[in-house]
Parts: sequence; C-alpha cells; structure tokens
Amino acid sequence: MAPTLAKTELNKTNKVILYVVIGIVLAVVPHLMPNSYWLRIYTMTGLFVMLALGLNVVAGFAGLLDLAYVAFFGIGGYIFALLSSNQFNIHLPFLLVLPLSAFLTMGFGFALGSTSLRLKGDYLAIVTLAFAQIFKLLLLNLDRPVNITGGVNGIFNLDPVNIFGLKIVSPVLYSYLIWFFAIIVVTASFRIKKSRYGRGWEAIREDELAAEAMGVNTTWMKLMAFAGGAFIAGGTGVLFASFQDSVFPNNFDFPQLVVVYCMVILGGMGNIVGVVVGAILLSILPEFLREYGAYRMMSYGLILIVLMALRPQGILGEIGLFTRGKTRPDRDETGVLKASTDLYYGEREQIGQLGTPQYSMTDRPLLELKNVTMNFGGLKAVDDLSFTLHEKEILSIIGPNGAGKTTAFNLISGIYPPSSGKIFFEGADIAGSKPHQVVEAGIARTFQNQRLFNNMSVLDNAKVSQFPRTKSGPISILFNFPRHKKEEKETEKIAKDMLNLFGARLTGYRFDQKAMFLSYANRRRLEIARALSTNAKLLMLDEPSAGMNPQETIEITNFIKKLRDIYGYTIIVIEHKLNVVKTISDRVIVLDYGSKIAEGGYGEVANNKQVIEAYLGRKRN
Amino acid sequence: MEIYLQQLPQQLVNGLTLGGVYALIAIGYTMVYGILSMLNFAHGEVYMIGGFAGWWVLHLLSRGNVPIINASLIISLMIIIAMAVTGLLGMGIERFAYRPLRKAPRMNLLLSALGVSIFLQNLVLNYQGAKARFFLVSSLIPESIRVFHIGNVVFSLMRILVIVVAFLLMALLTVLIKKTKVGKAMRATAQDTEAATFMGIDVDRIIVLVFLIGSALGGAAGTLVGLMFTQVDYYVGFQAGLKGFTAAVLGGIGNIFGAMIGGIILGLVESLATTFFPATYKDVVAFVILILVLIFRPWGLMGEKIPEKV
Repeated sequence: MAPTLAKTELNKTNKVILYVVIGIVLAVVPHLMPNSYWLRIYTMTGLFVMLALGLNVVAGFAGLLDLAYVAFFGIGGYIFALLSSNQFNIHLPFLLVLPLSAFLTMGFGFALGSTSLRLKGDYLAIVTLAFAQIFKLLLLNLDRPVNITGGVNGIFNLDPVNIFGLKIVSPVLYSYLIWFFAIIVVTASFRIKKSRYGRGWEAIREDELAAEAMGVNTTWMKLMAFAGGAFIAGGTGVLFASFQDSVFPNNFDFPQLVVVYCMVILGGMGNIVGVVVGAILLSILPEFLREYGAYRMMSYGLILIVLMALRPQGILGEIGLFTRGKTRPDRDETGVLKASTDLYYGEREQIGQLGTPQYSMTDRPLLELKNVTMNFGGLKAVDDLSFTLHEKEILSIIGPNGAGKTTAFNLISGIYPPSSGKIFFEGADIAGSKPHQVVEAGIARTFQNQRLFNNMSVLDNAKVSQFPRTKSGPISILFNFPRHKKEEKETEKIAKDMLNLFGARLTGYRFDQKAMFLSYANRRRLEIARALSTNAKLLMLDEPSAGMNPQETIEITNFIKKLRDIYGYTIIVIEHKLNVVKTISDRVIVLDYGSKIAEGGYGEVANNKQVIEAYLGRKRN
Repeated sequence: MEIYLQQLPQQLVNGLTLGGVYALIAIGYTMVYGILSMLNFAHGEVYMIGGFAGWWVLHLLSRGNVPIINASLIISLMIIIAMAVTGLLGMGIERFAYRPLRKAPRMNLLLSALGVSIFLQNLVLNYQGAKARFFLVSSLIPESIRVFHIGNVVFSLMRILVIVVAFLLMALLTVLIKKTKVGKAMRATAQDTEAATFMGIDVDRIIVLVFLIGSALGGAAGTLVGLMFTQVDYYVGFQAGLKGFTAAVLGGIGNIFGAMIGGIILGLVESLATTFFPATYKDVVAFVILILVLIFRPWGLMGEKIPEKV
C-alpha cells in the first residue's frame, strides 16, 4: 500500500535537508541581487508570498470570495503605524506589535465573517467589497476632526524594528526577517491543508450542504477561514508597513487586492506550491515588462478572464510537482497492468459471502418521530408523521414521487427544522439541531442525487466525515502536537476500514483518485462509505440503488443487509425498487402526500388497499 | 430642524434624479442576474464607457466648445450612441468572458467578471488618461433657461431631462417585457432556462439580448450622469456599479420593477442623508444599506424567500 499513499509526505531526514537547503538559499540570495532595487523586489516578493497564502486560506481552501481581504492587510499595517510611531507618540516594540496586530486583525476577520456568514458566492463578494470600501473611506477621512489615519498623506517615519537589541535597518536583514516569516506561513499552510481543518474547508468549497451533513461545523469553519486569512494578512501588514516605513490608503486599495487574487488564481486556488509560484511570478515579471507598465493592470484583468475560461485550476493545477512521478495506479507491485475486471471479480466472491448474521432487530427504540410536520409555504410536504425505529432495525420508506420521503430525511438530518413536532434520537430531542450536530449525535445520511466532494480524493472524502469525532484546534495542528498526530492516524484508519468494506472498488490506487473519476455505482458506494466514516449508529440511505444495473443492485442489497447483520448498524432506506425493499426490510412505512398511510411488514403493506391505490390509482366504480 | 424641512423639497428633487440613474444601472444588474444568476461585475464599467461615449459625441460635434448642430439633437445623439456602444460592449463581454463559463462554478464566473471590470477600467485609463473629461453643458444650453426656481426649489433643465429620459426608458422596457413576444421569452428564460429551451426559445439569443438591453440602459445612465454632473473619468464605474447593485438588491435582485423602485429609494435616501451627515460619508450610507439588506433581507424589499432545494 505504501507507494500509492502520501504523495507529498517527506520523511524526517528529507524534511531537515529541505529546510537546511531553504535556509542556505535564503541566506545567499540577498547577496546575489545586482543592486538595492532588486533586493527590494526580492523582499517584496516574500511579502506577497505571505499575502497570497493568506488569501489562499479564505478563497483557495474554503472557497469564500472575500473582497475585503486587502482591508485586513491595511488594518495590520495601520495598527503598527499607530502603535509604533510619533502619530500618538506610542512606541511599542515590534515583537509585541506584530502578534498583537495579527490577533487584532484576526478579530476583525472574525467580525466580518460573522456578519456575512449567511451569504454565499456573489453576495458575499459584494458585501465584503462594500466593507473594503468603507474601510478605505475611513482611512481617507479620519484625519478630521481628530487626526487618526493621516488621511491621504498616511503615516510615516515608523519606529525601526528592534529584535532583542538587533536593529533591522539594512535591506539584507529585512529580507531575512520577511522571508523567515514567509517560510513559516508556507509551512503552516501545508500543515493546515492536510489536517481536519484543511479537509473541512475543502469540503465546504466543494459542497457546503454535504459538508455540513458529514458533520463539518460549516459556520465555525468559515469563520476560522476568515480569521485565519485575516491573521496572516494582519501580520503581513505589519511587516509591510515597517519595510515601507509608512502606510498610505493607496497601499490597501482595490488594485492591490486584484494583484493578490491574480497570484492565487494563477497558481491555482488551494494549491500551495502553485500560489507561491504565482506570487513570485507576478512580483518579478512586471519588473521585466516595465516599459509596458501602463498595461499592467489591464493584463491582470486579462489574466483573470483567460485563466477562468481556459485553466481555472491555475498554471500548476493538476500537473502538480508531486503527482507527476507517480506510477500508473492500476499496475500492481510487479508492474503488470491489472484490468478492472480482475479487481471486480476478485472482489465479488467476497461480497457474495454474507456470513452468519450476528445482529437483528431489537425492541429498544433508537429514533422516534412524534407528529412531525413540515410546511413549505402552503404545502405540507410532511404531515403529522410519527414512527418509531428500533435499534438494529432496517426500515424502508416507500411512496410515490413527491410523497415527502426525502423531506422526512432532511428533517431528521437537520437540514430543515420541522414546522412542528419532535424528533427523539436515543431519548434526546434533536428537532431543530443543525446537521453537523445530528451527525455528532450518531446519524449519517446519503443523498438521492449524489453530493460527493468531487475534487477530493476517495480517501479524503471518507476522512472528512471524521471531523466531528476529532477535536484538534489550529494550535495543535500548526505545532503538530501528539494529539493531532494521533487523531490523524485514527482518522486514516477509520476511513480506510470503511472504504475496505467495498473491497477493491474503493481501495488501493483508488484511495488517491478523485471522486469525480469514479464510476456511477462506485460513487454511490463512496457516499455510503463516507456516511459510515462518521461513526454513525443510524444510517439513512436515500435511494442507494438508484441508477444501478441488476447485478449492482443485488450487490448493494446484500451489502445493506450485511451492514446490519454483521456490523450492527440501524438503517432507514428510501427505495423505489420493491425487490430491494422486500429483501432487506424488517418493516416498511408508506408515505403519500406527506402522511403515513401504512406501516408493517413488506407482505402486509404490499397488500394494503390504500397503498395499491396510492401507487396505481383507484378503480372506477 | 427647520432648516432640514426647508431643504427637504430640494433633496427630494435631487434624490429623484439620482434615483432615476441608479434605477437604470440597477436594471442591467437585475436582468442579467435574473437569467444567469450571476453578478455582472463589469456593469459599472459599461456605465462609465457610456459616459465617455456621450462625451465623445459632444466633443466631435463641437468646434471650440461651441456645438455645431442643434442642442437637443446633440443630446439625443449622445444618448443613442452611448446606448449603441455600450449595448455592443455588453454583447461582447457576454460572448468572450461569460459564455465560455456558463457551466463552470459560479466563483469562476464572478472572477471572470472581475477581470472584465479591471480590464475595461484600465483600458480607458490608458487611452483617456486619469483626468476627468468635462461636458461643456454651459455652451449647450444657455444659462437663462438652464436653471429655474419654483418656490425655494432649484430645478435644472438637466435634472428634468435625466428624470424624463430615465422614466421613459423604464416605461419602454416595461412594455417590452410585459407586452411583446420577446419579453415573454425573456421572462420564461429567467424562470427556467432549460424549460424555455424545450419550448423552442433560443436561450442564447435571449441572453445576448438581455446583455444588450441591460448594458444599453447602463450606458444611457452614464451619459445622463455626465450631462448632469458635467464630468466623467475612468473611475466612476466602480462606485456607480456598487450603487446600482445596491439598488438592485434593495428591490430584490432579479426583479426588474424592484430594481426601478430600489434605485429611486436609494437615490432619495442618499440625498436625504447628506442633510444629516458630512458629504464625505454619503457613500458609507449607501454601503451600510447594502450590507444591512444583504444580511437581513437578501431577497430584497420586493423579492420572495426561496428555500434551497436539496
């Protein structure tokens, strides 16, 4: 298994070597610069690397189009300028202002995030843009009646940086200082990306609702993205202000934001190496094209248009430096190509064996719906629905289209709060809980119309689901504390165990394959594996066999049965294929127009007059 | 308080003029949003280019600051040519920046729109310079009839012209949408693009038409504002775009009549706000309104809340 895994993982010695090499390069490069002008460009590049990586957290990882980002950069800069200059005669030391300013800016990020959390896509973009405009107007106008920001003239002559007596005034020392922090930000980006936070953000970017339904606290994670981006921007702002020895409103205006966005997009949103390359390219290239300086902003506009049309994943995108050298995934260790049918038939026998059932339905109620009603405007999608689900039971919900089956699932899983009624899970009322809280309580679901995280790997899709079961925060992730390491190991083990339930279809080389490249049936299987990876007790499957051929249907039917008989899950299934319902169900509930019209064993329900009428219509008298 | 009451009629007139312009810009946003569910970021620049087109017409038809033909003819030509230029520009933007992305994630579309906006703004900066261009209205209309008073309220002919043209264009658009076959096709496409295709509507053509009309109205607004405030520069589109968007959101985005009403409300609020706040914070008032509406009532004053389909 080892060679197919961990494509970016370096072992410890390699890591040490890498950092030593980077250290030597950073120590030498400033001395190679032909003149002080290029040394300045080199140092600015370091600042842009940080700035772009900060934006990459918000826009790249979490997919939030934050157009106020540059304002955070400005807030950081202005905080430093106010606290370390003659403006108010406050002269706090640099080593205090840097973290102070980063944390204060993070607070602003948090505040912006919490006001605009409910907004999506375009609306979020425009609200954040409006905030950025307000920020700029304040910078420009807060020189009267009391001079705070210095208006158009900004604030200058800031205190020199003094680190434990070492005064940083020479340009070379500045380049060391700034690139030192840049490397920290790069490292932090890598760590956070492959942690539960990184996966949570990526899941939100791919499909926010599905992320929430797999237990990711999307509200919190979006706030953390805003806060994280603002933290980096604020710190970078301090370094920038100190390097420039001044701050002006123009430093933090819209064009600056566009430049940073272009860096992130050119490199590929979320792709750390790409973003670093993008930042370096766009810092250096304009210097070679200086006689065309007037066209600089115009070409940034063109870069955006052309990249979005032709290569939205950025210049590095999929040809990523680390995935290149990988061997063909469907080759085994000896180098022989394996046909997919080999994998298929090798596995089929195993699936065929059901084994001896170990679990069966008990009397203990696990889930109880009491008079649950859901109104959409005037339409009652679910009307006074009550039923009890017992532990280790397989319950099927059937009914014609529009009968309210999926709405019932959405009510239980917390996607809609019910208009009235109560939902008890293990004795606690979960009606009105958020989806991620429902997952945490132990209920997981699949979606009728497949909502996988398509651009994430198969393994990461399953790993996302461990989000509510792990607790590592940013600090323990960034410093790689033992608790985080342990949780990562557990997450990987559980995700692999669950994918293993489907044998070769989702394992081996497929761990690293993107979900979108799987076959239709495999995507359905992955949805189930993803739901199982939440450590759920109760599994809700919305039409698991939809679109599957007869062979696949038989297989998934046996699999669902096995989940209960061998692994002891409690299951609710919405299903249209009645032979599936007949095989797996302990009990069947029939819905029509939102109400329960029949309940009982399959045979009982199938002969119920009302049910037949609901499906086939009434005979004319 | 008394002084405010004295100013009130004047601010109402000013607000109504401003509101008419915002409404024209807002319509462009809302029409595109209604059909493509996208925020056409470049719309503010379209407005700006409309202003420049009007300026060029005036410039080319003047000799030494004196118009060479009849003033009303010049003003009509300015508006019509500005509308033609921006209409074509809108079609071009749709064709090259948005159509290739119709199936792409929304974020890509928005970034592309941002790219168009930056591109156009800097294109104009490069070829027209950063300095404002002045509309020599004084030579167009003699001083004696340019401004007149009714009671305490100052009316300028230009303001009246702006109100009349803005409302005339909105009336025409209303007729087009409500009464004609094309209007019906546009409404159908906005409701459900796929279903409209199945009913034999050429959706691509409708989308082009929407960009044409929306951009032309934005262009008309550009020229009208130029005539009213007598200047235009490369940067006006940014602010105007945000205002137009605010108006569209205020009225419920996607809703054309909402956009008209939203524009007028925003114009009035902004004018009245200048009585109470320093003028430098006038824009802050508009942005705060935008933020509040989007956060607390994102479906606008007239729109309806629609739950997300799962």
